[in-house]
Amino acid sequence: MDASTTSGGARWLPGAPAPAEDDIVKCVACGLCLPHCPTFRLTGRETAAPRGRVAAMRAVQEGRAGVDGAFAAMMDECLACRACETACPSGVPYGRMIEAARAQVEVTRPVRVRGLRGLALGQVMSRTWAMRAMAVGLGVTQALRIDRLLPERMTAGAPRVSLPRLARRMPVRLGSGPVAAVLRGCVMDVAFRPVQEATMRAVAACGHTAVMPDGGCCGALAAHYGHPQAARRMARARIAEFEALGAEAVVVNSAGCSAHMKQWGHLLADDPAWAGRAHAMAARVRDVLELDVPSEATTTRPVAVHDACHHVNGQGIRAETRRMVAASGARPVEIPDDGRCCGAAGMYSVLQPEMSAELRLSKARAIAASGADTVACANPGCAAQIAAGLREIGADVDVRHPVELLRPRERT
Amino acid sequence: MVYIPRMTTLAPGVAAEFRAILGDDRVLDGSTERIIYARDGSIADGSCGVALLCETTAEVSACMGVAHRRGLPVVPRGSGTGLCGGAVPLDDAVVLSVARMRRVLEIDPAVPCAWVEPGVLNLDLTAAVTHLGLHYAPDPSSQAACSIGGNVATNAGGPHCLASGVTVQHVLGVEIVLPDGEVLAIGGPAPDPPGYDLRGFIVGGEGTLGVVTKACVRLTPNPPAVKTMLFDFASTRAAGTCVVDVIARGVVPAAMELMDSRMIEACEGFTGAGLPLDAAAVLLVEVDGTPADVEAQTGIAVDVARASGTRDVRIAADEAERALLWKARKSAFGAVARVAPNYYLHDCVVPRTRLVEILDAIAAIAARHDLLVMNVFHAGDGNLHPLIAFDRRDAAQVERVMAAGRDIVEACIAVGGVLTGEHGIGLEKRDYMGLSFGELDLDAQARARRAFDPAGRMNPRKVLPVTSRCGEAILDENSLPPGTWV
Ligand SMILES: Cc1cc2nc3c(=O)[nH]c(=O)nc-3n(C[C@H](O)[C@H](O)[C@H](O)COP(=O)(O)OP(=O)(O)OC[C@H]3O[C@@H](n4cnc5c(N)ncnc54)[C@H](O)[C@@H]3O)c2cc1C
Ligand code: SF4
Ligand code: SF4
Repeated sequence: MDASTTSGGARWLPGAPAPAEDDIVKCVACGLCLPHCPTFRLTGRETAAPRGRVAAMRAVQEGRAGVDGAFAAMMDECLACRACETACPSGVPYGRMIEAARAQVEVTRPVRVRGLRGLALGQVMSRTWAMRAMAVGLGVTQALRIDRLLPERMTAGAPRVSLPRLARRMPVRLGSGPVAAVLRGCVMDVAFRPVQEATMRAVAACGHTAVMPDGGCCGALAAHYGHPQAARRMARARIAEFEALGAEAVVVNSAGCSAHMKQWGHLLADDPAWAGRAHAMAARVRDVLELDVPSEATTTRPVAVHDACHHVNGQGIRAETRRMVAASGARPVEIPDDGRCCGAAGMYSVLQPEMSAELRLSKARAIAASGADTVACANPGCAAQIAAGLREIGADVDVRHPVELLRPRERT
Repeated sequence: MVYIPRMTTLAPGVAAEFRAILGDDRVLDGSTERIIYARDGSIADGSCGVALLCETTAEVSACMGVAHRRGLPVVPRGSGTGLCGGAVPLDDAVVLSVARMRRVLEIDPAVPCAWVEPGVLNLDLTAAVTHLGLHYAPDPSSQAACSIGGNVATNAGGPHCLASGVTVQHVLGVEIVLPDGEVLAIGGPAPDPPGYDLRGFIVGGEGTLGVVTKACVRLTPNPPAVKTMLFDFASTRAAGTCVVDVIARGVVPAAMELMDSRMIEACEGFTGAGLPLDAAAVLLVEVDGTPADVEAQTGIAVDVARASGTRDVRIAADEAERALLWKARKSAFGAVARVAPNYYLHDCVVPRTRLVEILDAIAAIAARHDLLVMNVFHAGDGNLHPLIAFDRRDAAQVERVMAAGRDIVEACIAVGGVLTGEHGIGLEKRDYMGLSFGELDLDAQARARRAFDPAGRMNPRKVLPVTSRCGEAILDENSLPPGTWV
């Protein structure tokens, strides 16, 4: 009866955080998360289900398995969408467990792969100039259509980069009142300039001085892909920068980033010099969707609402998305697929192309079925993924961040 | 009880034979994969030789053929939410999963009924027929996750089975693959199929007779009106009295669920449904029918509740509030983990009139074994679910849990109750069968089972106790190998 009669202790690897035993034992194996897990829905395979992944962690914790290739494959296949966490009545904190499990897996990768990923996630993404250089490269290949020569699976989820927009100067200070910092970010900065500008206007309309500092990435991708040290370094840099501005709030227009930044306190909890500062700054983070922005009506059309997993599951943001869409005068329309993940999930579209493609296409079809000619989508990864899916099925639907739909007016 | 994990390797060539049928990806024989398929929703742990993901009846039949020739034990698996170890493989059995067989094949709105594959999830079936104004009535609390095949195999019940009946009342026909691979069709939409009616035997077979590969299930029209009420009581005794009196007044509610104070606390923590945290017990009562009928039933239920001393009557104002109250109820088992990492329960049924008495007895048993018990159950039909919260890492506590479990079962049977209302016997209640059945009964059941499975390869060591005289061919007491519980 007692499966914990183990020989030997836990077999987690040194040199990286591991899922906590107290978190693992919370799973009572009820299976209520299964229908909410996109990878289980696609495969019907317990090893691609949250319960199975937690069981694999349990097996390592109990010394019955190691952090091996099979373990890595199971963790890599996970979208980290956290739909299971929202569904779980037992309060299994799956998000932080998969982050730690991935950090474990990262230790087992060949040094060359680890170094490369560390470089990409930790160095390139944190440097605004490096991201821009990459973006120019991507923009040029897309403009010359060289990207068509690469396998579809590698390019499908990549955002479309507009070179003229990249060249244009962005306002970095707007409005009056107390300072609210707007995260520049990494991908948002290079591929979603109109969203950045709309965010600045929205923040200003809410009575703040919107300021966009130079620094880039918040570290979310590094944390999600097993590089916690890089994530911690980036968190400290951003926190210092926002403190220097005297920011009363930090506004973020990408779901993965706002969800991650609200967890900064947890990320730096064991760093005595930073724990308090991280905690305080995390409490000031607001997703732009959480702002109640006064706006003129710009449209009366139906607009389909896509929920980013990291809004619904990380932060419980759902009604807010619809409120912002409605503020533009549009009629929010639900996508008929129960809010299933679109399969973008950070780098998932590159690392797990088959599974990602299936999710992308089924999301695109559901959006087309909603009948709306615009879909509101508040996360860069989802936006690129959904736009690609819609192109693939030949559906003529515009993909916009909800904040782009607004025409903010001064609050009276 | 100590579990001795056993991990042998399959005979050479077996996996290859399965791969020839299913391809590489759907034959799972890695060591971690086998560990994962060794469990279900219960606390039992077993050992899995290989897990197979079948997609069609033909594949199931071919895989069963291989198992037949090679003499391998087979355990069918749906969603693995079972609570009595039914889908837990022992002795490195082959786990045959139907989770990929999930198509709704045919809907006949005229009967109304539907043919479905066994892996279709209970709630997905209802979602597929909502636009026709229909639903699938049996609604286990696990309905979002459990499969129709698993429901058929366990004869599942649910809160709304009080008025509408459990699974067996809703299964019109099945297709089943027998242990040697033969495919058998039983029953169908016709009201009275000719010949022996075997449906009642197949439903509740717990994977010991074959693999259900299709089911024809009855669909139920959505009631025109529904009203959901929450009664708040200062004592469980008052709540228990209310249950008896409502039904005695001639009202059979669609559902009638009782939660005690500890359970209220855990569920409220997860859902924030606004359950009264200072109540000793609440009753969740739902009535449905025509609007006039619903009004009348509500009136009577509220009268009775007031007479039995309810402190407060809350009536769900809209569909959202109703959904929230049900979510609180249906999350109960999982919410226990907020108190302790594991739970153990028996789902005995007692006569409704003995409810109050048995709840007192359960409280006394828990106190005697120094354990925490939380109650949430189908009060209308006396189907108890006393959840004992514990931590399986504490071996001494586990022993007390098992002892308390046995005491609870015995107490229920002593007041005229039965072993299980809906979860099945599986592994965890197998050795209690002797409390309810004499040798002759058990013998008859073993013979019926053997008519389907002469070699005893289907879900071996489940349901019938190892000591059953004629079960010996199937369950040899003296050969308890590692991989079972001792
Ligand atoms: C939170 C929670 C709440 C629950 N509430 C209820 C409730 O209210 N009422 C209730 O009745 N149960 C309840 N259960 C128990 C469980 O959900 C039911 O027993 C359900 O019917 C099991 O379905 P499954 O698909 O998960 O089957 P599994 O667990 O996979 O299997 C259960 C049994 O059926 C057999 N089986 C599965 N599929 C087939 C098939 N295709 N052919 C032949 N045999 C098969 C297995 O061998 C096993 O013996 C609950 C469980 C949980 C975790
Ligand atoms: S819902 Fe939670 S407790 Fe249940 S199996 Fe999933 S992770 Fe485990
Ligand atoms: S995070 Fe998403 S993909 Fe991963 S286990 Fe949870 S629900 Fe499944």
